Amino acid sequence: MTRVLSDLNAMVAGQGGDGSLTVVTLLGNVLAGRGFHLYSTRNVASRIKGGPAAALVRGSIEPRTGMGDTLDVFVAFDTEAIELSGHRVAADGFVVYDSSAGPLPSGYLPDDVTVIEIPFGRLAVADLRRELYKNSLAFGVVSRILTFSDTEAASVLEARFASRPDLVERNLEALREGFTFADDHGFTQNAGPLRLTDTKHSDRILISGNHAAALGCLVAGVRFFAGYPITPATEVLEFMTRHIGSYGGVAIQAEDELAAVNMALGASLAGVRSLVATSGPGISLMQEGIGHAGAAELPLVVIDAQRAGPSTGMPTKSEQSDIGMLVHGGNGDFPRIVLAPGNPSDAFELAMTATNLAQAIQGPVYLMLDQAVSQDSATVPPFDVSNVEIDPGQRLTHDQLDTLDAYRRYAITDDGPSPLAVPGMPGGMGLVTGNEHDEWGKVSTDPVNRVAMMDKRARKIEAVLDEMPTGHRFGDPSAPVGIVGVGMESGVMREAAERLIATGTPIAGLQPRTIWPVPHETLAFLASKERVYVVEHNHEGQLAQILASVGRDCATVTSILKYDGLPFTPAELTTRIAEKEAAT
Amino acid sequence: MTATYRPAEPIWCAGCGHFGVEAALIAALADLDVPKEETLVLAGIGCSGTIQNNMGTYGYHALHGRVLPTATGSWEANPELTVIAAGGDGDGYAIGMGHLIHTFRRNPSITYIVMNNGIYGLTKGQNSPTRQGTAALDAALLGLSVLETTFIARGFTRAPDQLRRLTAAALTHARQGHGFAFLEVLSPCVTYNDTYPRWETEHIDLDADDTYDPTDRSSAFTRVVALEAEYRIPVGLIYHDPSAEPGSFPNPASADIDPVRNAEAYSGIIDRYRI
Repeated sequence: MTRVLSDLNAMVAGQGGDGSLTVVTLLGNVLAGRGFHLYSTRNVASRIKGGPAAALVRGSIEPRTGMGDTLDVFVAFDTEAIELSGHRVAADGFVVYDSSAGPLPSGYLPDDVTVIEIPFGRLAVADLRRELYKNSLAFGVVSRILTFSDTEAASVLEARFASRPDLVERNLEALREGFTFADDHGFTQNAGPLRLTDTKHSDRILISGNHAAALGCLVAGVRFFAGYPITPATEVLEFMTRHIGSYGGVAIQAEDELAAVNMALGASLAGVRSLVATSGPGISLMQEGIGHAGAAELPLVVIDAQRAGPSTGMPTKSEQSDIGMLVHGGNGDFPRIVLAPGNPSDAFELAMTATNLAQAIQGPVYLMLDQAVSQDSATVPPFDVSNVEIDPGQRLTHDQLDTLDAYRRYAITDDGPSPLAVPGMPGGMGLVTGNEHDEWGKVSTDPVNRVAMMDKRARKIEAVLDEMPTGHRFGDPSAPVGIVGVGMESGVMREAAERLIATGTPIAGLQPRTIWPVPHETLAFLASKERVYVVEHNHEGQLAQILASVGRDCATVTSILKYDGLPFTPAELTTRIAEKEAAT
Repeated sequence: MTATYRPAEPIWCAGCGHFGVEAALIAALADLDVPKEETLVLAGIGCSGTIQNNMGTYGYHALHGRVLPTATGSWEANPELTVIAAGGDGDGYAIGMGHLIHTFRRNPSITYIVMNNGIYGLTKGQNSPTRQGTAALDAALLGLSVLETTFIARGFTRAPDQLRRLTAAALTHARQGHGFAFLEVLSPCVTYNDTYPRWETEHIDLDADDTYDPTDRSSAFTRVVALEAEYRIPVGLIYHDPSAEPGSFPNPASADIDPVRNAEAYSGIIDRYRI
């Protein structure tokens, strides 16, 4: 009896360096070829090699940005993998266990799970002289379980190793050996226990939020990047180091985050669209520089790939506990914008918006990601670069500058931003400083000037309120109960809402994409509901606090929090909301 | 002609060494015919961190200790600018010291003028890392120990002609794209640490010594160490890398960011993610 799947969750786990990712990549390639959406994530320790490591993939007809509740297929290369993740396997799931590591530990798997035990590692070494071939062996077995044809499996494997022709033949040999084991266990070709439902192939890309955000900034004209390696933001540094030079730009790996943010300020001063990317600890170090961007009125885009804090925290685990720091951090009052994408498409779009908004407000704009959004990959439609807008803000051309009687760097204007000349332009010489200053940029503590300058800077935000990205809606808009969350909650909130609605609890969802300033649409959503659940990954309910402090009817807000380093599963979030609703 | 800010009057005390530094800088820029609009003076925090207000050029007031990374970013963004970083010994050698080492290593073609007075003047007289008798740091020795270093000089505000010459040499080194030009100036604080008399007797002019070879790094290091053991402060061109070549640098400030002209190339990146 073959079960047909429209939503497949698979995990491959072992020790770091085992090549778990390879099996998942191959599986993902088959799924994508069949037209399934992909979501892929990893679970790794903060070390180069070793330690429990897992790669997960979800293939689904609906686009999903999060794993499902349980695993349909679990490949475990050691006993620790079973001990750590055995409980995640569905009761009707399949476990492929590498018995070279020892006998299957008992008590970790649900009772009715089908287990295929094969000593992959030992066989790979004995027959193929290389332990890594165990991955192709395992993929052979998985292919048969999922009723992929042998040719389909072989072709994705060949494509995977296209750049290493010396490895193709041995891996194919391993794959065929995997098929033989599958035959021995009764999983013959075209007659496996699971099968993917039929769907049409669509043109898609598989990309992480970090890469999508970096690309969005590049496309919107960022030509200077400075960073310092930090998990989970390093991919932005790597992307920029690899690509920006081809577009006339410069990427610098600085000696620390203090240098990185100040280098970016210096580049911004010279008129180049500038970006820094880091995680919470780096934001802490950059805080003074970001405030300086606010005071000195320098455009700056800051990507924060949040990880579990405080302090060094859990570098590879996702959290949303920098929200308060981004919204309120830094000494003194200065205008800033915080945008929050929930998937790679959002990340690309909001990165472009952030880059333009930084120019428009001549100040700092945060792109707030979390580890899951940053590092997990999802399939999305290919990004459209045919309609990209570059907003120069108040940047003056030489001709415009020539028509001015006088150039004042901080000229008071009705909407806030001042006309901007950059070094190299005759007649545009100005003084830029983080001290309070007069219109010319000269230091001033005059009380009338102080108030005028503070108000001028604040006006810059009001002027762009209408350009702020609007949120994504889901669920039943007329429901009296609402759910709000950002980033990594975006996908799982949708799934929870679908389930709640299906079981008779109407719920309306909003994924705001502008966190700060709190946009009118978010306040209107809060005001229109009897109760709103704010879902977030932190201990203090930081987003809820901000919404409650700005919102008019805060009593409706109830936090649903998680801070154990793991994402919500759809079932977990559904239950948490259902329990609260039942108690209402 | 568009009017710009009127250069400020210096805030310094009468007799402050910084007047000499500013005069030398203005004179050297004039000697080299550097247009004001192509000059960017970035200064740190402290008494010295006001020099940019007095220049009539583009000016920037950096965060405390961060003038070097900021100046590096400006120069990386537009290497056609004459980028001059300036600051005091507290700004450069205490809170900002980490950046100095990495700037020597990175060797951007900017000029860095440190006004060393051995004291925190603006906060009224705390010791700085170069205060005599407190295990004083010598940034020249530090620079010599970094292999990428290409230019190290020290001036004294009591020797204005030499200071003007050294400032012009530093600017020329950087403007020709030879790398990082480091110029420390003994610039006494007459209010909190009047070192004029002491430095008058302790300074020794290497430029006047025919036996000194500023292109030989190891003998320069040996000589500076030996002089300092005798409580003498070497002044003049301390080290100049004769093999420094003008580099060729990207210019992000003139990069084409037009999305239409770049669309095909951007699509090429996106294609890499197709699945």
